[in-house]
Formats: sequence, structure tokens, C-alpha cells
Amino acid sequence: MKFVGEHLLPGQLGHFFAILAFVASMVATVAYYNVVKGKEPLIRDSWKRLARWSFIIQSAAVIGVFTCLYFILYNHYFEYKYAWRNTSRDLPIQYLLSSLWSDQEGSFLLWSIWNSILGIFLIRTSKNWEAPVMTIFSLAQLIMASMLLGIFILGYKVGSNPFMLLREAPENQLAPIFQTADYMQHIHDGNGLNVTLQNYWMVIHPPVLFLGFASMIIPFAFAFAGLWTKDYTGWVKPVQPWGLFAIMMLGTGIMMGAAWAYESLNFGGYWAWDPVENASLVPWLTMVAGVHTLLAYKATGHSLKSTFFFFFISYVLILYSSFLTKSGVLGDTSVHSFTDMGMSAQLLISMLVFTVPAIALLIVRRKEIPSVKKEENSYSREFWLFVGSLILLIAAIQITFTTSIPVWNKLLSLTGLKSAFNMNDIAPPSDSIFHYNKIQIWIAIVLGVLTAIVQFMRYKDTPRGEITKKLLVPTIVTILLTALVAWKGTITYDKYGAGFLTAIYLMLFASIYAIVGNFFYIFSGLKGKLKNAGASVAHIGFGMVLLGVLISSAKMEVISLDRMKMLGDGIFTKESKQNPRENIMLPKDVPVEMGDYHVTYTGDSVAQGDPKTYYVVHYEKKDKQTGKALERFTLYPDAFVNKKENALSSNPASRHYLTKDIFTYVSAAPNRDEAAQADTTPYVTHEMKQGDSVFFSKGFIVLKGLNTKPESRNYIPQNGDLAVGAELEVYTQTDDHFKLQPIYFIRDSSYQYSVEDTLAPLGLNVRFSKIMPAENKIELKVKEAAGFNDYIVMKALIFPYINVLWLGIIITVIGTAMSIYQKVRRR
Amino acid sequence: MKKTNIILLVVIAVAIGVIVTMVGDFSTYETFATAREKEGKEFHVIGKLDTLKAMSYDPAKDANLFSFYVHDKTGESHKVVFYGAKPTDFEKAESIVLTGKMEGSEFHCSKILMKCPSKYKDDQVAVSNKQI
Repeated sequence: MKFVGEHLLPGQLGHFFAILAFVASMVATVAYYNVVKGKEPLIRDSWKRLARWSFIIQSAAVIGVFTCLYFILYNHYFEYKYAWRNTSRDLPIQYLLSSLWSDQEGSFLLWSIWNSILGIFLIRTSKNWEAPVMTIFSLAQLIMASMLLGIFILGYKVGSNPFMLLREAPENQLAPIFQTADYMQHIHDGNGLNVTLQNYWMVIHPPVLFLGFASMIIPFAFAFAGLWTKDYTGWVKPVQPWGLFAIMMLGTGIMMGAAWAYESLNFGGYWAWDPVENASLVPWLTMVAGVHTLLAYKATGHSLKSTFFFFFISYVLILYSSFLTKSGVLGDTSVHSFTDMGMSAQLLISMLVFTVPAIALLIVRRKEIPSVKKEENSYSREFWLFVGSLILLIAAIQITFTTSIPVWNKLLSLTGLKSAFNMNDIAPPSDSIFHYNKIQIWIAIVLGVLTAIVQFMRYKDTPRGEITKKLLVPTIVTILLTALVAWKGTITYDKYGAGFLTAIYLMLFASIYAIVGNFFYIFSGLKGKLKNAGASVAHIGFGMVLLGVLISSAKMEVISLDRMKMLGDGIFTKESKQNPRENIMLPKDVPVEMGDYHVTYTGDSVAQGDPKTYYVVHYEKKDKQTGKALERFTLYPDAFVNKKENALSSNPASRHYLTKDIFTYVSAAPNRDEAAQADTTPYVTHEMKQGDSVFFSKGFIVLKGLNTKPESRNYIPQNGDLAVGAELEVYTQTDDHFKLQPIYFIRDSSYQYSVEDTLAPLGLNVRFSKIMPAENKIELKVKEAAGFNDYIVMKALIFPYINVLWLGIIITVIGTAMSIYQKVRRR
Repeated sequence: MKKTNIILLVVIAVAIGVIVTMVGDFSTYETFATAREKEGKEFHVIGKLDTLKAMSYDPAKDANLFSFYVHDKTGESHKVVFYGAKPTDFEKAESIVLTGKMEGSEFHCSKILMKCPSKYKDDQVAVSNKQI
């Protein structure tokens, strides 16, 4: 069959590029491998030329795939499943990119582009490390390209082709609509992008995150190259800035996701310990550990083996996170993972391809890796760097262990242990946030203290007394500051008992200690030389992140508590404990007290061309004694309203202050249409002459006259119609003045119709139901809709001192960037 | 014994300790029947929305009370009470993971996780006969 209206060229071109990328990266892998293994310089050179060109060709091909896919989305070619699934005609153009990477193929593509760019950069800069490092890179690209192939090899589907046509999709092949040649006539629009992804963070967060993912391969590749070529130490120097770069990009990417979660508030804050979030945090933790053991090695020769281990495990964990989010295994435990695309095995293989050789080689050659015989001194910096890295490893293990619950279930049932022991599937902890917090808080305490102290130690050995002397002032300052914050801040987070509250105070101390300690170190250790202070600045930022996390979580407050209902239930019943009552109903125009504010909902509004409904919510803060208004502002939380199902997809509106953010979020609103239909108030019949008037609750209606040539929105005259309109004027108590014209007409000289006219603001419906020529009267039927109670249900939260967290992140990034600059310059 | 080894041992011990305490936190997936046997403890129940019985959410009465009926895996249907607003797209969920406990014949849940036909997307072909 020849289908009409399809645009096949961009898809074919795109698929060609995808295959080209696959083949070229295969050639690059083999060629680079031969460069490493080759003996003859001449042959090696020719392999190298081939390898470089193939890598450049695969990079160009990847860009080609991206361009074709973007072209298809941009032009709304809905014959392609990708365009149909992820976009729609009304999608604002700036979100086309977010829909491009909202699906699995697009995210692989993004990753692949970054790999290409980093690869080309490394070809230019890594000199004699190029061949082994680029072998790893090309292999990674080969695997990436295979994810986009979408071809069947021996009956097994390899990859998923983003250029698949809608009619070729397995679920659609039998659908009758695709048996007709002109099926495109019926497909006018796509599915659209999920509204929570229509956010500017979703344009910027994925590229940064995937740059982080992609850059994690560089330390892995260098470490592997070192083991492979038996040059166990030469790789350390070039890798150092890249390790920092990977931390910086991955950290920024993760926290941009957190900022998105925070702003869209669909996940209740910036961090919810969701498996998808955890999976990308864990490699960051291990990479941070690796960067620190690398420092220890460079200064003293200790910890080289652990550096290998951390660099390997970090990339393996990146691949594991990609497996978790893309294989669908998290379906029951995460709110934002993808569903299975039948590629689990492929994802698993891609993970093992890197894991097995790296770990095997590390075990086999562990004896050859140089190490220092003498033990680390307990008063040395390298010793505590190592300890800190192990603490980070414990954090990583704990998070991974719980996040992997669905994987444990799979493993238990695969190995038959589950049936052998008659076990049930394990489920995540029912209070998962506290589950993580109660362990991670201790880790954060130890890390905070280490961050404050370790910089003051010297490598090899520190003279006794020196640490105490140097730490004395920062410690006293920290204790004073902690006491001040504890006194002024009144942290009384007793939801989980006194033990946890103690931990909170300890963490308060630890995070302030990290900030103060490093601040002092810039002066006492570095003599105020900011040039070398990258690490200290980054550590100050890290301390602020800990502090911001602590305070904003411990003092996060829901102000929209439904206190009336709380009293109604009785405060001390079992139920009142279960029900946090965090939503409150705001009837229209009735001020409700909420925390320090009086909050009033005054109605909603929609704008032409904007699919969202905006709810107008006024906040007013009054002085308790005088009743004078101290502060007034209006927030406009909005929502996509799906009329058919009355489903709301809300976005919060927030008021930002330096010290806190106030969020307002609509969780429910009534369905107008349904309310109108459900209204069963009867019509009241009135017989009227010209000039007569009828009263209703809000005013009166006057019959001005009859119009024999009526027209209205709802009535279009046809030939042979006999139509009369009643010209009515409506006067209200508030001196408003409206016109109404219900119409009565006879069509085909036998059927009578009545076209109702309504006055929405007054809830007035008027029907012209009969003409009585003999009496010169007409009959009107008038209905006043039962007073429609407009309201919204909303939730309002205050996040205090969240800016400490955001500022901390920015400072950490700046500090890391300073270090990178310093390391690159010194080379 | 080298200090590093001692530390490694300590770390391993801590890690094992942490994992053991963690396992205590883990919950299990249950049905209504097994959850009733252990009334008062929190569990996860996977089920489907019982569309034959009405769900109710009336913010005018109580903005934090949403109740509906769910079939669990064995087909047993029970009333579920959720203290909060009705989640968006609730009707669309293909299956629901509830976290909570049995209280008499009602299941009181504190968390609802909805599995939609395709996460982030709706995967049925939408066809209209209207011409633009």
C-alpha cells in the first residue's frame, strides 16, 4: 500500500545516520585497540588516522541523528511515533527540546552527543594517552549507537529506533486506521508533552546532567588505560581536572533536577530520596571519594588502589543508574522512571562490558600497582582523606542497597531463593525519607567535621599541638554560631523523637564547622591566597549545602493546616495523628487564616492562547495588635485543567524572600460544567406583555419588545424559519445592566425550538417557550442557578533558608571550577 | 595488623550494621487479607481501582479526606481512605501501590503511587474524525 501524506525522508536519513554512527564507532574501537596493541610505529600511525577519522565521522553522524529528530519534531510530522508521543501542535517551541529528551532514545542521543564532544576534546589534548582512552570512548559510543539502532538480530530487538513510524509500532500494526492509505488525514495532533515537564528547568537540566554522566567516563577511561598499558601512575596527572569536572557537572545536573522538583513541587520538595534521584547521587559520592584519594596519592603515594576502585565503580554506578531508570525495574517504587522498552538485557550487557574487564584487571594486576609499604600516620592528611572516602562509600552503599530493592526481588526470584524460602517481595520502607535521613545524617555529621579539620593537617605527619592551635579559634567560633542559631532558630523537629533531634543539632554544628573551618583555612593555611583556595571555597559551599538542607528540611512548615477540622475530630484521637490535614478549602472571597497570613481566593482567570487556568490568591499579613496590614501580595498558582476528567495538573506560585519561600499550590478545584449540569432548580414560568417586568433574587427583567429577525451565537437563521426573539433587559441591585435575547422559532413549519439565553455572572437562564397571539403575550421560563460555590483546595508551604542551599551549590561549583583552572594551568 | 586493615574492618562492620538495621525498615507487599492479619502494621498493597464503586472526595466537607475502593491481587475489594487531596489523574492509573495499614475493614493509606499506562505518557492512539 502506498501511504499518502507521510514525510519519509528525514526519518530515513536519521536512521542512516544512526547506523553510520554504529559502524563508525565500531571501526574506531577496533582501530584504537590496534593502536594500543600495535608494535610497528608506522602501522600504529595509520591505525590512529583511521581511528580518529572514524570517531569524527561517528560524532558527525550522532549530530545528524539529532538534527533529523529535531527537524521531525519541529515540523510536527506525527507519522513518526516519537513526534506523536512527545509533542503536540500547541507545545511552545522552547519545550521542543525537552520533549526531544523526555523519551529514552532522546536521552541516549544527548548522552552520545556529549561523549562525542568530550571524545574529540580528548583526541586533541590527551597526547600519548589518546589511544587507550579513546578505545574506551569508542566502545562507549558503540554501545550508545546500538541503543538507537532498532533492528532485530537473531530475533532479539537491539536498540529502539526513534524514527519509527506510528503505523510501524507493534501496538499499532493491526489497528484498522493504519490499513487505509490516507490515515494521516485522521492524525491531526500528537499526545503532547507531560505538563510537569513543560518547565524551563527541563530544557537545561537534562543536558547538564548528561554532560555529568558523560564526563564520568573520563576518569574511568584513564584509570583503565593505566591498568591496561601497565603505566600505573602516568594517568594520574591528566585525570585530575577531569575528575573535578565530572563532580562539578554531575553535581550541578543533579541539583538542577532538584531545583525543578522544588519549583514544580510535585514531589514535595527538592529531594525525596526517589530511586531515580538516588541512582545519580551515588556515583557522585564515589567520584568525590575518588578525587580525594587521588589527592592523597599525588602527595604521598598512598591510596592508588582505592583511586582505581573509586573511578571504576563511579562509572559502573552511572551505568547501573541508567539501567535502573530505563529498564522499567523501578516501576513500583519510583515516581519518575521510564517503563520497560524490552531493552533490559541490552542495558545489562552494556553495564557488564565495562564492569567485568575493569574489575577483573584490577584484581589480576593489584600486586603490580605501586603502593607505599609504610603505614599512614594517624596525624597525616592522607590518612583522613582515606577515611573520609570510606565514609562516602558507606553512604553510597546504604543508598544503593535500599534503592536496589526491586533488583533484589528480581535476583531472589531468578535464583529460586524466593520460592525456596517462601518469601514475599520486599517493599521499600514505608517511611522511606526517614529511612534514608536517619542514616545519612550521621554520615553528613562525620563528613562535615572531616571537611572542617582535615585541611589543617599536613601530608605525612602534622606536629602535635599544631592542629589544636590552629583549630582552636574556628572551633570556638563554630560553637558560638551553633548556639546562636539553635537559640534564635528554635529548631524543634521532634517528629522522630529526641534522638533524631540531637542528630540535627550535631549536624548543625558539623555543617557550620565545615564553613567556618575552611573559611579560616583560607587565611591561616593559605595566607589568604585566593588563587589556591578552590578546594576551601568548594568545601565552604559544601558546608552551606549541608546547612541549607538541614534547616530547610527541619523547619519546613505547612501553613495550610485545616485547623477547624482538626478541632472537629478531636486533637488527641488516633485519626488526628494519621491525618496531617495539609490541604485547606478556600471558599471564594472568604479570608482564611493561615500561619501569619490571611489568605483569600478571589476567582480564577484564563487567557486566550494559554492552556492554563490561573487562580488568584491574595495574601495579607496583619499586625496582631493594631490590625494594620503589614504586607500584601497576590499569588497566581496555575493548573492545566482537563475538563473531561476534571483532572488538575498544578504548578505552584511562590513568593521568594531572602530568608524563605512561600509556596501556594492548588490541589483541587470544582468542576463547573458538572456543577451546572447537576443543578436541578426548576424553571419558573411567567406570562409577559411588552413592558412587563419579572423579579428575581438579584434584580428584575423587563421585556422591551419582540424581534422578528433575531440572531445569536446559538441560532443561525435558515430559510423558511419563523423566528422571534424576546428583547430583555436585566437590571440588578448593584445597578448593573445586561441584555438577553432568548429565541423561539419554528422550523420546517412543524418543529418548535427554543434557544435559551444565559447570564453567567448572575446564574440566570431564560427560555422563550411559547407565543400566545390571542392574548398578545409570550411565555418565558426563568431559572436562577443554585448559588454556585466556587472554591479551591490548596496547600501552602514555607521553606525557610532554602537560599542557603542554592547559594551553597553555586559556591561549591565556583570552588571546583577554581581548582580545575588551577590544575590545568599548572600542567 | 595494619591500621588500614583495622579501619577497613571497622568500615565493613559499620556497613553490615547499617544494612542490618535497614532491612528492619523494609516493608513487604501484602494483600488486604494478609494485612488484616497483622492489623496496625504498615504495608504496601498493590491493586487496581474498583470502578464499580464510587470514589468520594468532597472538599466542601473535608479537603483532606479521599476514599475509594481497590481490588487487590486476590480480587478482594476494600474501601481505602487517604488523608489528603485526590491525586491528579487518579482514574487513569493502571495499578496503584498503597502504603498504609488495615483499620477494621478499611485500609488507611498515607501514600499512593500510581502506575500510569506509560510513565509520563499516554500510549493509546488518539484518533479523531473531525477535520481541521
